[in-house]
Amino acid sequence: MNDMRLTERTVDTTEIKIAARKVQVYYGATHANKDVDVDILDKTVTAFIGPSGCGKSTFLRCLNRMNDTISVCRVEGEILLDSEDIYDKKVDPVQLRAKVGMVFQKPNPFPKSIYDNVAYGPKIHGLTKNKAELDEIVESSLRKAALWNEVKDRLDAPGTGLSGGQQQRLCIARAVATSPEVLLMDEPCSALDPIATAQVEELIDELRENFSVVIVTHSMQQAARVSQRTAFFHLGNLVEFGETGQIFTNPSDPRTESYITGRIG
Amino acid sequence: MTMHATNMGNSLYKTDPLTKRLNAAEARFRIYGMAAVAFGVLALVGLLTSALGTGVSAFRQTFVEIPVMLDAAVLDKSGNRNPEEMAKITTIGYAKVLETAMVAELTERGLLNDRVSAKDAGGLISKEAPAQLRNMVLANPELLGTTVEFRALANGRVDGFFKGRVTMESAALDSNISPAQLELAQKMRELGLLSVSFNWGFITGPDASELRPEAAGLGVAILGSLYMMIFVLVLALPLGVAASIYLEEFAPQNRFTDLIEVNISNLAAVPSIVFGILGLAVFINFGGLPQSSPLVGGLVLTLMTLPTIIIATRAALKAVPPSIKDAALGIGASKTQTVFHHVLPLAMPGILTGAIIGLAQALGETAPLLLIGMVAFVRDYPAAPPEGFLDPAAALPVQVYNFTQRADPAFIERASGAIIVLLVFLLAMNLLAIILRRRFERRW
Ligand SMILES: Nc1ncnc2c1ncn2[C@@H]1O[C@H](COP(=O)(O)OP(=O)(O)OP(=O)(O)O)[C@@H](O)[C@H]1O
Ligand SMILES: [Mg+2]
Repeated sequence: MNDMRLTERTVDTTEIKIAARKVQVYYGATHANKDVDVDILDKTVTAFIGPSGCGKSTFLRCLNRMNDTISVCRVEGEILLDSEDIYDKKVDPVQLRAKVGMVFQKPNPFPKSIYDNVAYGPKIHGLTKNKAELDEIVESSLRKAALWNEVKDRLDAPGTGLSGGQQQRLCIARAVATSPEVLLMDEPCSALDPIATAQVEELIDELRENFSVVIVTHSMQQAARVSQRTAFFHLGNLVEFGETGQIFTNPSDPRTESYITGRIG
Repeated sequence: MTMHATNMGNSLYKTDPLTKRLNAAEARFRIYGMAAVAFGVLALVGLLTSALGTGVSAFRQTFVEIPVMLDAAVLDKSGNRNPEEMAKITTIGYAKVLETAMVAELTERGLLNDRVSAKDAGGLISKEAPAQLRNMVLANPELLGTTVEFRALANGRVDGFFKGRVTMESAALDSNISPAQLELAQKMRELGLLSVSFNWGFITGPDASELRPEAAGLGVAILGSLYMMIFVLVLALPLGVAASIYLEEFAPQNRFTDLIEVNISNLAAVPSIVFGILGLAVFINFGGLPQSSPLVGGLVLTLMTLPTIIIATRAALKAVPPSIKDAALGIGASKTQTVFHHVLPLAMPGILTGAIIGLAQALGETAPLLLIGMVAFVRDYPAAPPEGFLDPAAALPVQVYNFTQRADPAFIERASGAIIVLLVFLLAMNLLAIILRRRFERRW
């Protein structure tokens, strides 16, 4: 790991996009997130790392209220997006999810054409006035997701007919197409080859110009490469959260150190 | 230098005992499966041959074709061609005219002898024929005084003779027909006065009384069944699909919805005759709707079909992968958009299959219809919808039941014929289901 590069990395803003306070998540009796306090900064990439089953995906799904779809799931605490409580009674999760997009752990393209997959979001949110604009969004989104060159000749082909890695990039394009303010990515690269991974990482870096990105990853290298801030989860607790460089070079908690050096898994 | 490791006595070329056991189990299962399929196919073949064997002859019918002189002096005594006064002449008057015509024709051909009287000759013609002649004349009074070529239904026994059901021996014991009459019919056929041809009347005509099996048709029953199917389709499909979507996608999970779910499953298992009792009590006795009407029949069948459609639709909705729903919700689609844009299209083939199975079940249902009076003898066609929904009508399966209840053996053939018509409709519906499913099913 290039420690020099890490320590030089700075966070451009200090504006808080999402603030989570004392978040508790229960699946029935399972306590999946305990007292999680996280500040997601605007125009920043935040990485969530931690061993499998420690509650990274669970917490990520709280940020756009996807946990609402799980009937046994209960969320307590406070999560503010632009200082508005997203769990407030007045908040419609549909409106929230248009602002906070998501790429899921398993690729889940719609059983529709590649074009329709990407165009669906802009269509339902009325982002375009005509077909030409829609075409443009589809193309730029597919380009951002590093998929355009592979699919430009077969936009009418089914999205489910692509390879696993291509499907995941299609899902990224679909999420990007609605221009969310925050993009949540749950292990977006776990099915990708190194080249596509590099392309997606480049995309994440580009997205940082306008959005804030939260990425869950099992790859320390990836967290180190793309993120400015890193949160380490363990057994449902947020153990340590800070500048990526500091977490990887000088962790304050012994558990973090054990994990990044490969002793807890 | 390379060296090949020698295998430790377990060569891949030799099947080991475990693999042998697995293969034997698989071979056994294949045999069970094939036996089950063969049994099903055999049963189907048996059913079809029995229905077709006895029923196909219902689609052919013997007709007598003779010139009939429509004597104005007999049929229009006042002579002013006023249909109202002409209507006073009953079918008895027309029967005489037919008998006269028959005797005249047979005498001319030299077929009459002392063994067949004029009455016997007239008896070759169906008792339904005078009514048909009368209708023809009343509809068109100018025919009076002319001679028309009239195609009359032959008597059921004569028809049976040409279909092999009635023999000379059985006729000797039969008070309705004599061997001499059958010989005459045979000679008439040789001379072309009597012919066997396709029986449109069986498909389009109304039912006929016990004594006239040759005139009995399915027209009213087919119309009645069609009207009821329209009802079931228009009511049960939207209601069932809407209820399922609500229960599956929107309803909160609580005691109350659990209770509803249990009730729906139970309703699907309720014997159909119970729905008939319910229909009788609620729609006829309480609601005051007319008996024997396709409206009540349709409502009862709708109630009966709803649980089937709901269960099939819910199963189809459940089978849609949750990841697709998550994907749609994740980019900010509302619940309704998610359901209508993504879930419903994927569930469509399953929903259609369920709906058509439900409809086919409703089409073949007899018991509840017996209770709401559709077993009644109905000869008048129901009017065109919507008024026709309130007119009395029959239904195909009930017609089959009615035919089998009658004494004259000619009705056995009619009953099987009606079963064939019913099977053709069911086949057409299943075909439609397959076609629709192919169109909606996009496997990608
Ligand atoms: N739908 C669910 N119902 C019940 N329990 C769940 C559900 N989803 C997750 N859990 C539980 O919550 C805990 C955290 O799961 P989560 O998916 O957040 O882990 P994760 O950190 O994302 O793991 P991974 O890295 O393997 O994806 C686990 O113990 C899991 O069993
Ligand atoms: Mg996860």
